Formats: sequence, structure tokens, C-alpha cells
Amino acid sequence: MIQRRVVLDKLKEELVKANVRLNEEVKRIVAEYEGPFSDVIKENYIISEKECLPLCQDTGILEFFVFLGHEVVLEEPIEKTLNSAVEEVYVAYPFRYSIVSDPVFERVNTHNNTPVVVHVFQVEGKKLEIRFLVKGGGSENLSTLHMMNPSAGASEIKDFVVEFVKEHGAKACPPLHIGVGIGGTADKALVLSKLALTKDFSERHPDPRYAELEEEILRTVNLLGIGYQGLGHGITAYSVHVEHFPTHIATLPVAVSVDCYLCRKGKIVFED
Amino acid sequence: MRIEEFKIGQEILYSGKLIVMRDQAHKRLKDMVEKGEELPVDLMGAVVFYAGPAKTPPGRPIGAIGPTTSARMDDYLEMLFRLGVIATVGKGKRTGKAIEACKKWKRVYFVAPSGTAAALAKRVKRARLIAFEDLGPEAIYELEVEDFPLLVAIDSLGNSVFGE
Repeated sequence: MIQRRVVLDKLKEELVKANVRLNEEVKRIVAEYEGPFSDVIKENYIISEKECLPLCQDTGILEFFVFLGHEVVLEEPIEKTLNSAVEEVYVAYPFRYSIVSDPVFERVNTHNNTPVVVHVFQVEGKKLEIRFLVKGGGSENLSTLHMMNPSAGASEIKDFVVEFVKEHGAKACPPLHIGVGIGGTADKALVLSKLALTKDFSERHPDPRYAELEEEILRTVNLLGIGYQGLGHGITAYSVHVEHFPTHIATLPVAVSVDCYLCRKGKIVFED
Repeated sequence: MRIEEFKIGQEILYSGKLIVMRDQAHKRLKDMVEKGEELPVDLMGAVVFYAGPAKTPPGRPIGAIGPTTSARMDDYLEMLFRLGVIATVGKGKRTGKAIEACKKWKRVYFVAPSGTAAALAKRVKRARLIAFEDLGPEAIYELEVEDFPLLVAIDSLGNSVFGE
């Protein structure tokens, strides 16, 4: 059995880290940026780490991707543990409570930043892998879905993603990490586009055709010249990741999700 | 410096007051204006900052704070100008409607660096809750800031740093 306490403690540590310490891949790239606000951007990650203040005031909605081995035994439903971890961290640290209870009517703040969004995937084996995104509202508002014509090819998909980033990218705190989910059903494609954002920038798709699509979208997006903060200096996107799934003969769902320049995320693996 | 003198792309360090308000506070103010009620905040000559701070750690005036997406507030911009607001501060590109309003009222829109909330919090010297405490991070606050980095994104002639 994987003890609740073990998952909780490790997860809490990673949640704090994601919010106050800039991830190393991002840091290396941001350190090279010269342009409007570059001093403040570099000062920010030093202050946040030193003083344990969040990198961004929008400390997000938490989205989890859980890969649950079929031999793993847990003390309680994983969703419960994930909610407890987020509540304990967000109450204890100077983060922001950004969740409202009812989306349309009351919109009353829940004052603990829960509930979280959880996707569980059953896999073989005895491992429990938890990936998460600290998803800010500004970047989340760019999530989109396009049910394309099934005869559309890679170049139409590329055009759709690039046009979308051209129109909206400046609003989501670029440079962006771009996740593209292709296939399945509408909802599946959206989840895949989010899952794509949990990858490291340097990872490439194992299928060379998809790897080329990732690189081609990235290259074209970076010709848009949106730049840091949308102000035209520096790169527009760090990386593009594609996740795909078989689909119906009549459909080609394509979803796009983006992460802001901070790319706050985490990945933890436990073994039963 | 006069508002009309600011040109797009120009970077400044602002010291003075900012009125912090975002989505829900705008919605409430609009309701109150429509009902002819007295507003809980005086916006004459104010610079409005679209933001919602994180929790305040002990011993500090305010927690991490930074701009939110301005375009969400575009439908309320004319109302703010009518109430006397001289400039707004936020992040990102705004719609044509906001550009037109800035031109018509000769007002400016600044962007502040987004995703730099720990660094910006250090430039806030004092903070005071003004209204709508029940909204938590969406309440209205007044800040006194020093050397707060801003960049002119829409000037009073309706030029935008983000293009049309």
C-alpha cells in the first residue's frame, strides 16, 4: 500500500516548489532575455525563491494527471489526497485562493483553492505517477477546440494552431508552452492538449512525423514575433508538444492549450 | 507629465496611487451606476490597476500582486473614463473597443510586467482595502507604489503597441 502521508508530504513539497521556484528549463531561457521588463522578470524569480512569495499572484487552479498502476493500493481515493494537499499548501502559504464555488451564480470563493481537477488513467503495474499543472486563468482562457474536417492534414492543423496563437497568444503571458491534442473525441483531445503541457521542453514525440509537426509549429509560431509579454522582443513559444489518439472516421478533433512563461508544473512517481 | 504626452512603447517608473479592481468589482460598480447609487470609491483622476493580490504575508503591506488580462474589462472601460479614470494598467492586448475609448477620452493604457508578482509586491509601500471585502482577491484596494514599472501600450491618440 502507498501511504496517504507519503503522497501528501511529497506533493505538498512539489506544490510549494512549483509556485515559488522557477523551473530550471525556463530559468535558463529567461536569463538570456533582453528587452522590455527584462530586469523585473529576472529579479522576480530571485525574490520569489528567497522570500517564498509566489512567482505570480495567480497561483492557479490545480489540474492533476494521475497514472494509477492496477496493482497499487491506496488508503483513500486519490482525488481526496490531492485536494487535501492543495488545501494545506494554499492555506499555509501566501498564495491566492482563486477558486469560486459556483461558476455562474454565486461565484463565492472557496477560501482554500479547492476543488482541484483530476484525470485518472489506469495503467499496468505498481507505480503511481502524479503530474500537475498550476494553471493560471489567463492562459487557461486560451484553451480551444476545433472539430476539423477529417481530411485535413498536418499542414492544416499547423495553420490552425499558428493562427490561434497569432490572434490570442499575447494575452497569455508569452513565451508560451503549447500543447496540442489530436484525435479521440472533443473532450479527449482537450485533455491530451493539457497532458502535453506536463512534458519537458526538450522531449520530442517518438514518432518522427509528429516530432516534425511539433518542430514546424514551433518554428512558425516563433516567426510571429509576439515575444515576451506580447511586446515583440524575444521568442514567442518555448516548445510545442503533440499528444494524439485514434479517432472516428468522421472526426478530427484538434485542441490547443497553452501555459504561460512560468510553466509551473510537477511530476512525482511512487512505487507500491 | 501630461497624459497626452505618453507615446506607445515608452517605459516609465510610476510612483503614486493605484486603485486595484478587476472583474467582479467592475460588475458591481456598473450595477450601482445604473441604479444611481453612491459608489464606494472615488475614481476622479484615478489610475486603475487590473489585479487581484495573493494573500498578504505577515509584516508586509500586500502579498504578491501583478496585472491580469485587461481585455476582459474592455466592456467597462468607458464607464471608468466617465467616472474620471485617467489611465488603466493591466496585461495584454485589448480589443478595438478599448482603443477607441482611449482615443475618444484621450486616456492611456499601460501594461505592467505579468508573472512578476513577487518583484512588484516589493514596490508597493502601502495598501488599503476600499470596498467589497467579501470578494477576497477581487475586492477594491488602494495602493501606494514606488518605481512601479509600466509601459505605454495604448496612447491617447489610439496607437497600440500590439497593433490593431
